[in-house]
Amino acid sequence: MDMSQISPADQAKVQVMQEMEIEMMSDLYNRMTTACHKKCIPPRYSESELGKGEMVCIDRCVAKYLDIHEHIGKKLTAMSMQDAELMKNMTS
Amino acid sequence: MDKTPERIALSELDKEQMKTFSDFLLSYNRLSEMCFTDCVRDFTSRDVKDSEKTCSLNCMEKYLKMNQRVSQRFQEFQMLANENALAMEKKLRK
Repeated sequence: MDMSQISPADQAKVQVMQEMEIEMMSDLYNRMTTACHKKCIPPRYSESELGKGEMVCIDRCVAKYLDIHEHIGKKLTAMSMQDAELMKNMTS
Repeated sequence: MDKTPERIALSELDKEQMKTFSDFLLSYNRLSEMCFTDCVRDFTSRDVKDSEKTCSLNCMEKYLKMNQRVSQRFQEFQMLANENALAMEKKLRK
């Protein structure tokens, strides 16, 4: 991106937003890890190795979690855009 | 009057190191809590039983291995998403 054409205020804004995005990603990662651990690893720790079934479960869990995350994100944006549209129509 | 000594400003690198350290401490606490809840259920004796100890250690090791796998899959997913975004951009520019 060419930063010279953007005002310093906007540059600061972009930076804060990038930091928020990183923060959001790490939060997503932590939540996903906790959720998949809960769903895939039974709390009987007779072994320290991951079982085959547990590995498959983790792979699917991560893929599904991220899919659902994306779906919800899309729906949420669509809904908030609709809301904004409605508000604009009501005020005008 | 301001009595607190002036904080020395941390460099970006130091800040990053502190963040890593605090993340480590947080995951340490979370791990202890989780493995304690899953492995220690009997309070008829004060001593930690051998079985409880093995269970906790296995729990920790397994969690770390799981975390590694989750991180691998997450990275793969992100790389794919990045590639898709780049391809979309290229398409739109044409």
